[in-house]
Amino acid sequence: MALPYPVSLRERIYAIVLGPLIIVAIMGLAFYFYPILEPTGPSVPLGDIFVAALYTMFRLTVAYCCAVVAAVPLAILVTHKAAFEKVLLPVFDILQSVPTLALFPVIIMLFVRFGNLNGAAIFILSLSMVWNIVFTLVGGLKLIPRDIVDAARVFGLRGWSYLQRLVLPAIVPQLVTGSILAVAQGWNITIVAEVLHTYIPGGTSAQDLFGVGSILVSAAANAQQGTFLGAVFAMVVIIGVFNFFVWQKLLHFAQRFRFD
Amino acid sequence: MPVIEFRNIAKLYPGETRPALKDVSFSIAQGEFVCIIGPSGCGKTTVLKLIAGLEEPTAGEIKKPQKVAMSFQLGALFPWLTVFENAALGLRQKGASESEVGRVVERNLRAMNMHAYQSKYPSDLSGGQRQRVGIARALAVDPEVLLLDEPFSALDPKTTAELHDDIIAIWRATKKTIVMVSHVIEEAVSLADRVILMQSGTVDSVFPIELSYPRRESENFHRDVMRIRREFFR
Repeated sequence: MALPYPVSLRERIYAIVLGPLIIVAIMGLAFYFYPILEPTGPSVPLGDIFVAALYTMFRLTVAYCCAVVAAVPLAILVTHKAAFEKVLLPVFDILQSVPTLALFPVIIMLFVRFGNLNGAAIFILSLSMVWNIVFTLVGGLKLIPRDIVDAARVFGLRGWSYLQRLVLPAIVPQLVTGSILAVAQGWNITIVAEVLHTYIPGGTSAQDLFGVGSILVSAAANAQQGTFLGAVFAMVVIIGVFNFFVWQKLLHFAQRFRFD
Repeated sequence: MPVIEFRNIAKLYPGETRPALKDVSFSIAQGEFVCIIGPSGCGKTTVLKLIAGLEEPTAGEIKKPQKVAMSFQLGALFPWLTVFENAALGLRQKGASESEVGRVVERNLRAMNMHAYQSKYPSDLSGGQRQRVGIARALAVDPEVLLLDEPFSALDPKTTAELHDDIIAIWRATKKTIVMVSHVIEEAVSLADRVILMQSGTVDSVFPIELSYPRRESENFHRDVMRIRREFFR
């Protein structure tokens, strides 16, 4: 059976090398023909940029975990009864269509009050991820075949055992695909989520969070082409490595949980 | 003393206008092998679901035992569990000790000729092998009544014939009550000792089959098949 993603080592190497190469080539051409930033050297060393990228990864990981913890029960609740689905699904649909960043100023002010700026970034990242996961999980729960549900009931699976032995394993493939989409969305939002001062009245760049997102924004604002390219490079490498070692393996693992 | 008794059962699914079952009455004795046949949509699977407790009747009374297990059309195995784990599902759910699970599951997998596949996953198995695991899973909980929902519908003739022999062997060895749903008259006549023909949500006729096994070689096999066929297409 042909799998819809790279599995052989050669294919994986293509994925990890070709992807970043294409991105770097496009950016290189863009900078060459349209030098929007001055060609200055990196004012932030590449090593520091990678450390910043790890800080960003940490925020994304915490946000992702929070999003999963929220999304799984929400998806199960929606599909538990037709009546719940009728009420909750349109509500979720409206909530997911509200741009996450529109809520950012309010959320920042709340977290600033408690002096927790990292919390603000993680909250907004989590909010940007949660709906991707919820909707893919809802789709997955609806894919559980009727006879499998009947078999579970005939053999006495109820309550927690029903969740543990049927529902949670059955949503593994959708959890993986939803997570890939969610984390990609998180990387998009991180560019804004770490630059907090623009949302705080009278804020300064000292209130920004150390991370690859804030480095990108600051490099663009200060015309530091080297830093900008270094940050993009670090981001691409980390995303590529993560894809290679985590998502590809999880996608492969999730095949076992698919119904025929 | 019947082990299963339907008294004037009606079933209307929510959102439907046409009842799936109307005024269905029959009884099944302990140790009987009954096959329910009929065209698609006549309500035969609904009868099984009512016996299994997966559905409740809209009207009427059902007498059925507590210990009922069911084997499904395509096996209905959990893809993430091995053959052994699938076959052990019901038994583990009942809280059996691991030593008992090991002993019972191994015995039933051996009975269904699936012992060599116990560490395989359902995706590694053929349709017939999945069906065998589904039956082993049902037998593992030692049910009073074994329900078989069109167990051979997706199988090739050779596998079907082999499974027929296995089912008869299990039935004779365990003396369990078996209720099977099928739409193949020859299958019903070659296995069951009573055939219930359903049409449009109700029991149309009941045919006792008094042939010795193996039946397909029997002279009277085709006579019984034709007798049911006439009623089926009436």
